Amino acid sequence: MQTQQTVPVIEQHDGPAIPRKSDKGLVSAWWLSLVVSVGTLLYLVLVEKGAYLRLVKFIPDGVLVTFQVTIYSIVLALFLGLLTGLGRVSRNRWINLVASTYVEIVRGIPLLVQLFYIYYALGRFVRVPDILAAVIAMAVCYGAYLGEIFRAGILAIDKGQTEAARSLGFNRAQTMRYVILPQAMRIILPPVGNEFIMLLKDTSLVSILAVADLLRRGREFASETFLYFETYTVVALVYLIITLLLSKLVSRLEERLSYYVKR
Amino acid sequence: MRRIVVLAALLIALASQSAWAKTIVFASDATWPPMEFVGPDKQMTGFAIDYMKAAGKEAGFTPEFKAVAWDGIFAGLAANKYDAICSSVSITDERKNAMDFSTPYFKVRQALVVPVASNAKTLADMKGKTLGAQISTTGHFAVKKAEGVKDKSYDEVGLAIEDLFNGRIDGVVCDDPVAAQYALQNDKYKGKLKIAAIIETGEDEFYGIAVKKGDKETLALIDKGIKAVKDKGIEKELIKKWIGQ
Repeated sequence: MQTQQTVPVIEQHDGPAIPRKSDKGLVSAWWLSLVVSVGTLLYLVLVEKGAYLRLVKFIPDGVLVTFQVTIYSIVLALFLGLLTGLGRVSRNRWINLVASTYVEIVRGIPLLVQLFYIYYALGRFVRVPDILAAVIAMAVCYGAYLGEIFRAGILAIDKGQTEAARSLGFNRAQTMRYVILPQAMRIILPPVGNEFIMLLKDTSLVSILAVADLLRRGREFASETFLYFETYTVVALVYLIITLLLSKLVSRLEERLSYYVKR
Repeated sequence: MRRIVVLAALLIALASQSAWAKTIVFASDATWPPMEFVGPDKQMTGFAIDYMKAAGKEAGFTPEFKAVAWDGIFAGLAANKYDAICSSVSITDERKNAMDFSTPYFKVRQALVVPVASNAKTLADMKGKTLGAQISTTGHFAVKKAEGVKDKSYDEVGLAIEDLFNGRIDGVVCDDPVAAQYALQNDKYKGKLKIAAIIETGEDEFYGIAVKKGDKETLALIDKGIKAVKDKGIEKELIKKWIGQ
């Protein structure tokens, strides 16, 4: 009897094997996380009621402050990071030195210590309001990390791009602005998005400066009512939900920026 | 046979431990001078610490002090991390629902600390201003209750005082011995800060030792110690030493 011969399948790729994006399926990790966290929160507030219902009152104020600190810090940190990144690749020795020193110093001090330093230690000389002090501290810290990411992104662009732009008659600034930075943006967006999410979570540290953010509101509520489990469950869920929203925003941006590499 | 021996040994060990000095672990947030704070020799010291040591001597228990941050100190008690809290805990009705209290050992009032230049005389004068306090202390509750006053909560009262000193807030509300310590005795703040007012809350406020709800054994020992300290006049000496009245 003749058995059917199995034909070996030869897989064909027209490039390196890039795994398919995970969120192409019906259920993505992001949706699952969002549904679970929002669902749990709604369940606790609407079904369990009691303590959870009382808890909801302080959350809007806290979230507002957390958002404020996050958004101002992100904008300021992006600006600082871009300056630092450009400074780090600058051919001017002094600019380079200043940018590098800033990165070395700030990267070596924990954020919590920086917050204490800017608020309580420098508070002797500069009396800025608490949210502003928090924003400055966060931006100074994250500016250094973002600067390194910007530098890596700029250096990742092939030298040929610069050469081509220069031979087209662009000067150095134009080359950077029209040729290098737009390409670098695409490379740095994922790590920058990651930093944004880290920054949002790290804003919980500013509660040490008596800034009434989400965590501090929660702590005040918990240590007044002794509802530790309930409070911190809700606080954790709220942080999770706003982080998920931010991460979606970042991945949307990534898709927008990568439209011209799609095949 | 062996099992019986081991059991017997265990029983004897247990019995002897309770017969001898029982160790009571007290949690204390040592940032509240002069009641409890970390002294120059890096040991926890202060009025309440001395008080409990004396009470232990009188009632026959060995006090052991554990530094715990104020925020969450009650959660730790509920979670059995220590036997009692000796940290200037004011006895309030809400707290009584969650834990048991010893007999009061110190009467306290809330004081308003302001810069020397300020001419505030009462809490009402602080309308529209920002007042700081340590998170979830009775001082913080008083600020929250005050009308038209913006409240700010700090992890430690020392940070609130420093912020007041740096001019970011307009006043701090805390227990009067603590206020006196910062405004009158502290080398750094002396002459820069003053006590503007003693806030009348209408009810007397007392410090008590908090124990886990239903822990009668520990409570009885502590009460016995406090009573002895009061009766023998040790309390007066301690007040003279730490409060200076």
